[in-house]
Amino acid sequence: MRRHSAWIVLLLIWSLAPMLWQLLTSFTTSAALVDGSIPFLQRWTLNHYRELLSSNPPFWRYLANSSMLAAMSTVLTTLLAIPAAYALTKIPKQWRQPVRFVVIAAALFPYVLLFLALLELARQFHLGNSLLALALPYSALQMPLALLLLTAAIEGLPVDLDDAARLEGLSLRQRLRWVMLPLIAPATASTAILVFLFAWNEYPIALTWLSRSDLLTLPVAMARIAGSSIYSVPYGAYAAATVLGAIPLLVLVLLFQRQIVRGLTNGAIKG
Amino acid sequence: MRNALRCLVAVLSTVFVLAGFAWSSGNRLTPVPVSILMPAPFADASKELVNRFNREHQGKIELTINRGPLETESISDLAISSLLLGDAPFDALMMDVTWLPKYVAAGWLEPLDRWFDSSDSEQLVQGARLGNRFENHLYRWPLVADVGVLYWRTDLMDVPPSTPDQLRSVALNLVQSSRVANGFVWQGRQYEGLSCDFVEVLHGFGGAWMSADQASTTLDTPAAKKAAAWLDSLIRDGASPRAVTNYAETESLQAFKAGDAAMMRNWPYAWAELQKPDSAVRGKVGITLMPAEQGEKPAATLGSWGISLLRESPHPEETVEAIRFLTSETSQRERFLDYGYTPTAEALFTDPELLAVSSALPDVRRALNHAVPRPPTPIYAQLSDVLQRQLNGLFTSGGSATETMDEAQIRSETLIRSAGGMA
Amino acid sequence: MALIFGWPLLRYAWLSGHADSVLTGLVPVANGGANWLRLLSDQRFWVDALQTARFGVVSVGIELILAMAIALLLDQRWRGRGAVRALTLMPWALPTTMMALGWRWIFNTPYGPIEQLAGSLGAGPLNLLSAPSLTWLVTVLADVWKTTPFIALILLAGLQTIPDDLYGAFRLEGGTSVQALRRITLPLLTPYILLSLLFRLAQAFGVFDLIQVLTGGGPAGSTESLALYAYLNAMRFLDFGYSATVMLGGFVLLMALIGLGALILRLSGLIRPLQT
Repeated sequence: MRRHSAWIVLLLIWSLAPMLWQLLTSFTTSAALVDGSIPFLQRWTLNHYRELLSSNPPFWRYLANSSMLAAMSTVLTTLLAIPAAYALTKIPKQWRQPVRFVVIAAALFPYVLLFLALLELARQFHLGNSLLALALPYSALQMPLALLLLTAAIEGLPVDLDDAARLEGLSLRQRLRWVMLPLIAPATASTAILVFLFAWNEYPIALTWLSRSDLLTLPVAMARIAGSSIYSVPYGAYAAATVLGAIPLLVLVLLFQRQIVRGLTNGAIKG
Repeated sequence: MRNALRCLVAVLSTVFVLAGFAWSSGNRLTPVPVSILMPAPFADASKELVNRFNREHQGKIELTINRGPLETESISDLAISSLLLGDAPFDALMMDVTWLPKYVAAGWLEPLDRWFDSSDSEQLVQGARLGNRFENHLYRWPLVADVGVLYWRTDLMDVPPSTPDQLRSVALNLVQSSRVANGFVWQGRQYEGLSCDFVEVLHGFGGAWMSADQASTTLDTPAAKKAAAWLDSLIRDGASPRAVTNYAETESLQAFKAGDAAMMRNWPYAWAELQKPDSAVRGKVGITLMPAEQGEKPAATLGSWGISLLRESPHPEETVEAIRFLTSETSQRERFLDYGYTPTAEALFTDPELLAVSSALPDVRRALNHAVPRPPTPIYAQLSDVLQRQLNGLFTSGGSATETMDEAQIRSETLIRSAGGMA
Repeated sequence: MALIFGWPLLRYAWLSGHADSVLTGLVPVANGGANWLRLLSDQRFWVDALQTARFGVVSVGIELILAMAIALLLDQRWRGRGAVRALTLMPWALPTTMMALGWRWIFNTPYGPIEQLAGSLGAGPLNLLSAPSLTWLVTVLADVWKTTPFIALILLAGLQTIPDDLYGAFRLEGGTSVQALRRITLPLLTPYILLSLLFRLAQAFGVFDLIQVLTGGGPAGSTESLALYAYLNAMRFLDFGYSATVMLGGFVLLMALIGLGALILRLSGLIRPLQT
C-alpha cells in the first residue's frame, strides 16, 4: 500500500507537529525564542523544566491533583454506573426508549452551561476547594456516557446467561459480581478510560470550584499561566509544562488505545 | 472492583489524615497570618517591603503576598471566583479603580473609615484622593497614582498642542512634511484603553460620560459627538495611523519609542521606558495634558491601584497595619526609586531625590490635579464595553459620529435600565 | 444525574425571571421578563450567537471532511496502523487549555513559526491573533486539530461494520472506487455521520476552554462565544440573573439550530437510512 504512505506521513505531521513544536520550545532558552540569530548550539536549556519543578507550588503538584481527581471520579463513576446500567437493561420495554433518549440527550448536553448552577451548589454546601467534592459533579456529568456504554455492553450479553445464573441460585449481588462483571470488563475499562480523560481535562467546573493555588488541576493551572498578558507569557516554561502534562496522557493513550477505540465505537453503534 | 474500592478507601483516609495535619499545624502558628492578592508586577515590587514588615512585626504578623496574574482582568477574575466560592484565601486585595463600586455593591469590602481619616487623605496628591470612596465610605487606600497623559517630542515641536485643533494640525503638518512617520498614536483597539482615551477627549470638549447624579449617560450630547468625530477625523485625515484602531498601550509605546510618532497618549509608566538606552527618543520627550477646547479644562483619566480590606478577613486590624506599611511614604519612595511607580503622597512630588530620577514628576503631578474618574458604577464594565464597541465600530467600519454616539447613548440607557434586571 | 442536569436548568429558568446582580446586592429579586427583553435587544448576545454558530458550523464541517478522509485511510490494512491510530488520537486526549496556550505561541506575532514562515515568504506580519477577520479561523483550526480524531474514530467504527463483500460485488459490476464511496460507503455511514454531527455541534456550541485561553474572546470580541459571554456575565459583571438568561437563550437557539438541521435533512431525504 505504498500510495498511502504519503498520506499517513501527512496525517502524522498534522497530528504531532504542534506538540513537537512545544517539545522543541521547552528546550529552547528564553533568549533564543525571540532571537533567531543565536547560534544553534547555544539555543538549548533545561532551565524551563527546572523552573517549573521549583516554582511554588511545584508543577508536580498539579499533576498529582489531576491524577487524584481523575482517579476518584473514575472509581466513583464506575461504581455507580455498573449497577445503574444493569437496572436500565431490566426496566420494562415501553420505558426503555424514552429513558435512552433522556440519557443520550444528557450525554450530548454542552455541560459548560451548567457551571453557574454548580457554582451555586458548591457555595451552598461548602464544596469549593475540595478535590474530593469536585469528583461528584464529574461523576454525574460522565454518568450518561458511562450508562450508554455499559448498557450497550450488558445488552450485548446473551439473555439466557442471567437466567441460567439465577436458576443456579445465585443472588443478584452474586450474579453481578461473578457473571456480569467479568463479561463486561472490557467495556468497563473503556468507560473508565473515557471518564478518566474527561476528569483530567475538564476546565470550566474546576475553574469555578477551585481557587486555592495548591489545589488547582492541570488545565486550570495552565490557564492561569495564560491569564497573564499575551506579551509576557513565559512560553518556554509553558511548553515544558505542556510536555510534562502530556506524558501521562501519551502513556495512557498508547496503553489503552484499543479500549478507547472500542469504547467510542461501541457507544456509537448503540447510540 | 474490590481493588478499586480499596483504592478509594485508601485515598479517602489519606485525604482525611492530611486535612487533619493541615488543621492542627494551622493552630500552632502564633503570628497572625495576613495575605494580600496583588498582580505579579506589584507583588514583585513589594518583596523587600514585605520582608522588612515581617522583620518589624516578628512573632506578631506574618504578611504574605499572593502573586496573581499580570493582566488586570485576570486578577479580577481570580479574586471574584475566590470570593464567590465563599472562602477567599486572602485578607486584602489590590484593586483597580474601576472595580470598586462593583465589589462594594457585592458586599465584599470592609469600609476603611475606622482607620484612615481626613488627615491621611490630605497627605495625598489630588488625583490619588479620587476613586477610593463609594457611597460615602472609604473602601480603598491608594498604592500608586496613575493618570493618562500626552507625550510629545521636544525635537519636533517647541510647545505641545493644547487644543484638539492644534494637535491635529501639528500632527498633520509633521506627517505631510515627512518629518515623522506618524502623527499622534493612541489606543483605538476595542478594549478598556479606548474608553480611557475617550474620557479625556470627551472632557476636553466639555462633555462627560454620565450625568452628575450618575443616573444616566450623556453620550449623545454635542460635546460627545464632537469628541468622537475628532478622534475619527484623526484617523481619516492621517493625523493618526489607521493602525491605531488596533493599538493598545504597548503598540503605541513601541511606535513612539522607535521614533515613529510625534505624540502619544499613555500612562506615566511609559516615561521610564522612553528614557532607556534603546529608546530612539531618549531625552527628546515631554509630558503634558491631553488637549482641551478653549475654555474647557483638560482632563486626565484616573487609573491607579489601591488596597481594599475584605469583609471576611478574620484579622482586619493586622491587615490594615500591613496596608498602612505598604502605602507609607517610605514605601512609596522605594517603589518609585526601584521600580518607577508613581507615588501618591503630595510631598514626594517635590522631593529632590525623586526629582533627580525623573524630571517628569512635576508634569505628572499637574496631570494628577486634572484627574477625572471613569463612571463609578457597579455596571461600569458593561457600560464601557458598549462605548468601546461603538467607537471602534466608527473607526473601523465608518458611519457618522452622530449616529454612533446616539446609538451608544441608547444602548447605554437600555443597559442601565435592564442591567442587573432592575426593571 | 437529575440533580446535575435537571436542577441547573430549573434554576436558570427561575433566575432568568429575577434580578440577581451587584445592583441587588447579589440577592434575587423578581423582575418579570426584564432579562429576556434585554436579551432580545442585546447586540452582544446576538453577535456572539452568530460567532458561535459560525465557529460551530465551520469547524464541524471541516472536521467531518477531514475525519472522513482519515477514517478511510485508517480503514485500509497496512502495517503500523495501530500505532498511527494511537498517535492521531493524541490531540484529542490532551487538555484543551494546554494546547490552547501552545497555539498562542505557535501563532504568536512575530516569534511564532507561522509568522516566521509567512515573514520569510514575504507575506508580512499576519497578526493572526489580533486581526478580527483572521483570529476566529485560528480558533477553528485549533478545534479542528483537537476533535477531528474523535470524529474519525466514530466514522472508522462505522466503516468497519460495512462488509467487504459489498465492495467486491460493486467492483465486479464495474463501479469505480469513487462511485463506491458515494453509493455504498456514504449511505451506510449516514447514521454515524449524523451522530458525530449532532454530538460535535452541541459541543462546539458550548465552546469555552479554547476561546477563553486562546483569545479571551478577543480581539474586539470577534471570537467571543455564548458560553464565554455567559461566564463573563456571571464571573466578571456579577449579573447572575442575566447570565442564566444568556445560557437559557443560547440553549434555545441550539435546540432551534438542531431542529432546523433535522428538518433540512429530513426534507432532503438523508435521514431515512436512520429509521430503517
